[in-house]
Amino acid sequence: MPEPITIFVDDIAIETTEGANVLDAALRAGICIPNLCYLPEVTPTGACRVCIVEVERHGRTKMTAACTLEAREGMIVRAHSEPVLRARRNIVELLLAEAPESPVLQALAERLSVTDVRYSRRDRDCILCGRCVAACAEVAKQGSLGMIGRGANRHKGLPFYKEEYCTQCNECHDRCPLELSPSGRRGDHCGVCGSELSMNDAIPDICEDCVLS
Amino acid sequence: MDLSRLEEILDSKGSETFAIMEVLQDVQEAYRYISEEAIVRISERLDVPVIEVFRLANFYKAFSLTPRGRHLITVCAGTACHVQGAPRLLDTVLALLNTKPGETTADGAFTVETVNCLGACALAPVVVIDGKYYDHMTPGKVRALLEDIRFEDELAEDEDEEEVEAEANA
Ligand code: SF4
Ligand code: FES
Repeated sequence: MPEPITIFVDDIAIETTEGANVLDAALRAGICIPNLCYLPEVTPTGACRVCIVEVERHGRTKMTAACTLEAREGMIVRAHSEPVLRARRNIVELLLAEAPESPVLQALAERLSVTDVRYSRRDRDCILCGRCVAACAEVAKQGSLGMIGRGANRHKGLPFYKEEYCTQCNECHDRCPLELSPSGRRGDHCGVCGSELSMNDAIPDICEDCVLS
Repeated sequence: MDLSRLEEILDSKGSETFAIMEVLQDVQEAYRYISEEAIVRISERLDVPVIEVFRLANFYKAFSLTPRGRHLITVCAGTACHVQGAPRLLDTVLALLNTKPGETTADGAFTVETVNCLGACALAPVVVIDGKYYDHMTPGKVRALLEDIRFEDELAEDEDEEEVEAEANA
C-alpha cells in the first residue's frame, strides 16, 4: 500500500498517497488545474504542458507538468502563481496558433484570458497531444496508432498508413481535442479555471470548492 | 520474399524487447530494407505492437522501408561540399542513373541519397559509395566510378551465368 501523505497545492492541504499523480490529486480535491492531454484512465504523458505548475523542493522551485509529477510528503505546489499563469497562457497561445478553429482550445484560451495570439496560425489538424495514441493503446488495447517521424515532421498514424490496422473502435476520435466540442456541461463550471477537458467524471461537481471561484 | 534469414536473425537475438534495434539493423543489412512482412513478424516475435516497430524503422535514417539498391551512393550536400560543387555532382549522378534522391533505380542496382554533412569537409566535395569515401570529386570522376561499378556488376553476372551453365552441364 502506498503511504498516505499530505501535499500543498495553492496552500491547500491535500491528503493523497506517495507517488500519486499531482494533477489527479488536485482535481479530486476540487482544485482545477487546467489540462489538456491528461486522461484519467491512461498513463499520463505530459505532452501538452497546459497543466504546468511550480513545485518547491529543497528550497528550490522548478516548473513542471502536474500530470507527470509524483506526490511526495510535504510537497509544495503552486498551480496559479503569476509565473505559472504567464507560462500557461503562453503554452495555450502556442497551442491555439496550431489549431485556431478548435472549440476546445478556444474555450481553454477563454478561461485563461488568452485574447491575443502572437504566433502565426498554422491550422493543423493535430496538436500532437497524444490522447488518441494513449486511448488506442490503453483503452482500446489495440496499440495501432502511434507518433511517427521526428521534429516538425512528427504526426500520428497507423503502421504503413494502412487502415487495416485500425478496428474502427473510435476510442481515439472520442478523445481528440480537435474533434470534441466543449460539452453541454459548460454551465456547470465556474468558468475561472481551465479547460472543458479538465472535467473529471469521477467528480462532476469539481468546481464547487475550487479556490479560484 | 524469403523470410528464412529473418527467422535466423530473430532466433539468434532472443525474444527480449531490447533486442529490437539489433534485429532491425541485421534485417536492414540482410534484405537492404525492412519490409512490412518483416515488421509484422518482428512485432509477433518480440511481442511489441506493429506500430512501435514501424515507428523505429521510420525514425532512423539508417533503416529503409523500401528496398535499397545493391549500391548505396551518398552525395554530401553539406556547406563545404555545396560550395565545392556538390549540386553538380548530384545532378550528374541522378542524370546518369535516371533516378531521384532517396530513390532506387528500376534495376535495383543503385540508391542515391544526400546527407547534410559527413564531417569530412577538408575533402569536399565528398561522395560515399558502398561505405567508401571518395574525396575531391568532380562530375568526371563520379562518372568513371559509376561506370566501373556497372562493369564489375556485369562481370559478376556473367560469372554467375557461367557457373549456372557449368552446373547444368555437369
Ligand atoms: S489527433 Fe487529436 S488526439 Fe491525436 S494527437 Fe492529434 S490532437 Fe491529439
Ligand atoms: S502535460 Fe499535463 S495535461 Fe498535458
